[in-house]
Amino acid sequence: MEKVLMINYQKCTGCRLCELVCSVMHDGVSNPARSRIKVMKWEAEGLYIPMSCQQCEDAPCMNVCPVKAISRDEDLGFVMVDYVICIGCRSCVAVCPFGAMNYNSIDKKVFKCDLCGGDPQCVRFCEVNAIEYVDADRLSTFKKKDAAERLSVAQKEAGALQAAI
Amino acid sequence: MALDRKIAYIDLSTGEIEIKPIPLDVRKKFLGGRGLDAYLLYNNKEQGCDPLARGNTLMISGGILTATCASATARTHVMAKSPLTGLLGSANMGGFFAPEMAWAGFHHLVIKGKAEKPVYLWIHNGEIEIRDAANLWGKTTTETQWAIREELGDDEIKSAVIGPAGENLVRFANVMTGIKNSAGRTGMGCVMGSKNLKAVAARGTMDIKIAHPVDALEYNKRFINQITSAKVNQTQGTLGTPFIWGATNSWGGIRTRNFQYNQCENADDIEPERIDEICEETMGPYHMTGCFGCQVHCRAQYKIPSGPYAGKYDEGPEYTSQGAFGGEPDCKNAVTVLTGNHLVDQYGMDNLETGSLISWAMELYELGIITSKDTDGLDLKFGNDEALLEMITRICYRDGWLADTLADGGIPASEKIGKDSFSYLIQVKGMSNLHSDERATPALALNIATGSRGSDHLRSRPAIDLYHLPEEVLRKIYSNPVPYDGPLSSEHTSYDGKPWMVFWQENCYMGVDCLCICKYHTTFLGATLPNFEDWTKVIYYNTGLDMTPKEIWDVAERCYNIERLFNLREGLQREDLKKGDTLNHRYYDEPCRRGAIDVIGATIDRKKFKKMIDEYYGHHGWDENGVPTPETLKRLGLDQEPSHLL
Amino acid sequence: MAIDTEKLSGAESLRKTRTYGKVRCHNPSCMERLQPPAGADHIKCPTCGMEYRIYWVNPNLPRIRGPVWDVNRKLAEDKLASINKSKSKKAAKKGGD
Repeated sequence: MEKVLMINYQKCTGCRLCELVCSVMHDGVSNPARSRIKVMKWEAEGLYIPMSCQQCEDAPCMNVCPVKAISRDEDLGFVMVDYVICIGCRSCVAVCPFGAMNYNSIDKKVFKCDLCGGDPQCVRFCEVNAIEYVDADRLSTFKKKDAAERLSVAQKEAGALQAAI
Repeated sequence: MALDRKIAYIDLSTGEIEIKPIPLDVRKKFLGGRGLDAYLLYNNKEQGCDPLARGNTLMISGGILTATCASATARTHVMAKSPLTGLLGSANMGGFFAPEMAWAGFHHLVIKGKAEKPVYLWIHNGEIEIRDAANLWGKTTTETQWAIREELGDDEIKSAVIGPAGENLVRFANVMTGIKNSAGRTGMGCVMGSKNLKAVAARGTMDIKIAHPVDALEYNKRFINQITSAKVNQTQGTLGTPFIWGATNSWGGIRTRNFQYNQCENADDIEPERIDEICEETMGPYHMTGCFGCQVHCRAQYKIPSGPYAGKYDEGPEYTSQGAFGGEPDCKNAVTVLTGNHLVDQYGMDNLETGSLISWAMELYELGIITSKDTDGLDLKFGNDEALLEMITRICYRDGWLADTLADGGIPASEKIGKDSFSYLIQVKGMSNLHSDERATPALALNIATGSRGSDHLRSRPAIDLYHLPEEVLRKIYSNPVPYDGPLSSEHTSYDGKPWMVFWQENCYMGVDCLCICKYHTTFLGATLPNFEDWTKVIYYNTGLDMTPKEIWDVAERCYNIERLFNLREGLQREDLKKGDTLNHRYYDEPCRRGAIDVIGATIDRKKFKKMIDEYYGHHGWDENGVPTPETLKRLGLDQEPSHLL
Repeated sequence: MAIDTEKLSGAESLRKTRTYGKVRCHNPSCMERLQPPAGADHIKCPTCGMEYRIYWVNPNLPRIRGPVWDVNRKLAEDKLASINKSKSKKAAKKGGD
């Protein structure tokens, strides 16, 4: 079953541990500039949003690649770069609508999330569960449940308010 | 070797910058962070010089674990001679600054001299530039940070900055980063201000090598679990540090009305649960945030719900703000605490010192030692929220006689105010005490009396002493990594064995400060949290440095002794009420009047306390005056100091 | 460095001594372990009589939010009065000597 990262940015505390463990896992060094996931921050208002690859079905990076270096992993379904073929033109970086295809100026390579081969470290280390690894077809179920819960709370509050009046 | 870290010497007078590697033998002796800073301070600062003169040296550093794969290596350490105490100045802040500085290529900065006009340092991928800060001068702490980002065109720059308080040489000004992370004590922001240094900005994309990345990642999971499974950290992650208020105010450990009471009665509006409600109302259900890499997330986010600053975003308030702007001045309104916290964050001023000094002034005002003429008409009574908030702003801008006087710190202020104002000043070594009341807890009283940076709860507080842990549990903690078979008491009202606990905690917190990880990740508020034994693993996996728990203990003891040597060189004397290991007489003379049944009537026993200090010196290998003996210095390899290894 | 990954450090091994669902009475000589019923909002110490308001961090983790003010204030005042009384007695005795 194809699984994806589900990010609930409201839960994110902005600590960036995901960036740290991502770089240690993939490159054996600590350096957020090498991280596949990145927490975008609006510090003046306390808003933090982790951004990572959505593993798009009709992936623009895959489509734009002039040498067909980008393909989909058959087992886990993530989009991957074959560095033997890649010419480093960064066209994929330019077209990605999420900014999830990165370019590393140290190694001069593009890089992206590979779900750590099925055990994403960002998920493993995030104790507030801002990032979860879920079946792709259940993503919307979780969202529905969240939204329904908010509705139910709102309804209860409205009911209580009515009763009070 | 993974430990290829750099130190930069920056002379602001000449503009010269020298970059050096940190040799491994120096690492093994002083590790990093606070320990290495203490060594550098002792070796670089001109003896006896005025803290605001060119000769003072300012260190800004990360620790040996900074930016490695270990939980929350977020702390930045700042050290210099303190303009508040004239002794050791040392402060530590969370946030994201030190890791960014590490990725930018540096772990330690040694800043000397004084710039002709306002400047800031720009540290970027191995390079350091001194830049003009004329446009930043006068800006608040957050305005400064955002302006630097805009000027340099990078939103990910992290800066350690001063606010207007540092510019105005308020002697207890902070160095700050982010919204509220403050190297708050001992006036390090004032030293920056005196050097015309408005900010240090860092941004880096350089690798920090990890010695054993696979093991480091795996061990970090276990390390984090050890930290977050502690009940105390689950509570902190929900209520933040204000959680401490609940128990402490309940038993009677909150200094109220300066030092008149030991409990803030009926203060339900500033209880942590109430503050948490405001955070939730203004920021939603997920309103906790954290420092770099930390899974405890003890910092709350809030917007001020009402009043003249309604809608302003800030973080915290920490336990210190609750006491400084709630308990001590007896202003029992959440909005006042939240507003006071916001003001000091923006001005870059120590919340604790500010609140304590205002509360002291309130007591002097009520006693008639100062009058409305001195306050420029401000009715500085306890419980006057508006007067409290007004005084915060006045102190930052040194507006009026009293504010200008208080901005110089408690002891100079007491000398200017005269009469018997000094006897009401709750300080040790010239720095105000936290709002905690230690009359019922001898171990905690010993901790504040002896702390190397003056009155302080983060140098040696054996906070788990309050938990009534069984003796065998205490023994398991306190007889490692060096054996101890002397007395240990579960009773926190006892004097038995407490000097050892304080001595042990000193080394433990020194260890943490050398690693630059957070104190909530060690034996501070929870008994099961990591210490020496656990650190050996995290250090080895990340840096390749193979040390035993005892070797880390020795480093800690060595560094603590350097701090002691520094203080002695700058004039510390045991019995000096202004510069010694002493307590305000009220600890002995005024019994507790509030709190739990058996706290009523509690005082510190003068004789027993003196004996505790003797015993504490003994554990250190110091003589009866608190001076390290030649044998102690030899044992720690400090007999040749200053040794100028770096 | 050979690290025995199975072996727990001293601090880790102390985890087994943890208790859940309890708070301690705040009176120093009492320190009784009190177990509030699930969801209870206050608890009285059966040993010393001090009474506390309870907050639940999570369903297994109660904490003392603060005292029940009027109850504990009364206990404190009684104690203070008895101390003052014995002091004034002592003082009277001294005066008589």
